Amino acid sequence: MKQFFKLYKIEQKLFFRSVDVFIFNLCMPVITLFLIGLIVGSKMAGDSGLTYLESSFAAISTVGICCSAFMSIPIVMVDYRDKKILKHFYCSPCSPARLLFVDMLCSGVMAALSAICVTITACAGFGYRMSGNVIIYIGAWLLTMISMFSIGLLVAALCKTVKSMNVAASLLYFPMLLFSGATIPVELFPKSLQLVAGYLPLGVGIRLMKGVSAGIPVAAMGREILILTLIAAVCITTAVKTFRWE
Amino acid sequence: MEKSFEMDNGAAQKFAKIEFFPLTLPFRGGCKILLEKDKEDFFMDKTCIDVKNAAKEYDGRRVVDGLSFTVCSGEVFGLLGHNGAGKTTTIEMILGLKKPDFGELELFGLEAAKHRKEIFEKVGVQFQSSSYQAAIRVGEVCEEYASLYRKPADYQSLLKQFGLEKLTKSPVMKLSGGERQRLSVVLALIGNPEVIFLDELTTGLDVAARREVWRTLKKLKKQGLTIFLTTHYMEEAEALCDRICILKKGKKVIEGTVGEILQSSPYRTLEEAYLWYMGETVEDSEKEEADNNEAIL
Repeated sequence: MKQFFKLYKIEQKLFFRSVDVFIFNLCMPVITLFLIGLIVGSKMAGDSGLTYLESSFAAISTVGICCSAFMSIPIVMVDYRDKKILKHFYCSPCSPARLLFVDMLCSGVMAALSAICVTITACAGFGYRMSGNVIIYIGAWLLTMISMFSIGLLVAALCKTVKSMNVAASLLYFPMLLFSGATIPVELFPKSLQLVAGYLPLGVGIRLMKGVSAGIPVAAMGREILILTLIAAVCITTAVKTFRWE
Repeated sequence: MEKSFEMDNGAAQKFAKIEFFPLTLPFRGGCKILLEKDKEDFFMDKTCIDVKNAAKEYDGRRVVDGLSFTVCSGEVFGLLGHNGAGKTTTIEMILGLKKPDFGELELFGLEAAKHRKEIFEKVGVQFQSSSYQAAIRVGEVCEEYASLYRKPADYQSLLKQFGLEKLTKSPVMKLSGGERQRLSVVLALIGNPEVIFLDELTTGLDVAARREVWRTLKKLKKQGLTIFLTTHYMEEAEALCDRICILKKGKKVIEGTVGEILQSSPYRTLEEAYLWYMGETVEDSEKEEADNNEAIL
């Protein structure tokens, strides 16, 4: 345990040293929420029954997840493999899997920090209060995170080179960020684009979180929960089978 | 007469039967104990690395071909050869990173890939041209690797031994090539290993730095460390190695102490003897290296 925490402490420090993480994970979501809150915060968002602020709160809480899952995780894993760091761990009594797990944990912490910053902005800046159950909301957020992380893991496992991983990560990150409703409110999209957003994995997670934050009972969100769980199960099993240490 | 014999400290599983001989041997009061495993070990130095008929093929090219050698505990063993001769592949097969197409490679009598947790507590490795996490500092990378072992060495004293103690807080990215190479040796030693593998150890170091590293390795050898190294530099092989093995295109050309190898050649220096064994002049060896490099690419 002590060994695990030593490793975790050092890897987490490294995450905080990256400027990209600071900008994309922390600054960007806070600024986006701030702008939306300021411009259209109190208007009703389409026919969802929520204001733009309430709707965007749930959506923007997933920006950190998006950044961690589709940028951090694949980049870190493929980079470590490329630099023979995983090879070195393979030649130690500790499995490289421990390092990868630690990095996933660090990414999760960064995503959580992002969600916390967004929450503080919404509550302190705009007086937001959630009508749904906070504990269930956190559960929905965690499920979305695990599901998206599993996709990132799969990308890391399948991409053999840093170049192909950069392409894959960008192809995942930007569309998910822009078209799933994580930043631009999905209610502003035309009907056809709203349909697309509904099919993107992150879009499913956002729909779940919006519903839970609005107080819709968990039983009514069964379809979203099932889809996210299935994504996680399939991606994790495939990733574990196909991952190469070098 | 055969009977099983119970001994303490776990030696029981190694003993399969005791044969009683009528004539007393000066050993255990007249009985010769036969071990099921490691029979020869009992009568000579403990074998650390054992390679038997190893072979590996890439794209139809035999990179390692019928290679056999053993390395005993406490000795410094050098694997010499041109680029592409199969040195790194041999190390990777011993460490279980690559599976041999044929043959057995054992570390401490076990296959590394199947007993990783046990074996790698006693093994340190330094790879050619490895790099580290961006933005990590020297002290942090030492702490990180130390956290992988049950009984790690004091990394600060290791850094001091290799002249890196002033760079503990520096980012690894800012180290010079020589400093990086020394750091990689520190990391190989950080788990307090019994055997270390050094792949092209002093490539990129200036003469003074190289001598410094040799001095430290010789000191560690006196403390019982087994060293398996690959090198291009003949003076390094002469300075450090107890025994060497020369590889050409994956096949063993000769194995023995430096003295033995020199004796069976018409030359006095290891470099000339090496070229003679490779069956070539200086121009031939450069051409073959170029061919091997092309084949790899």
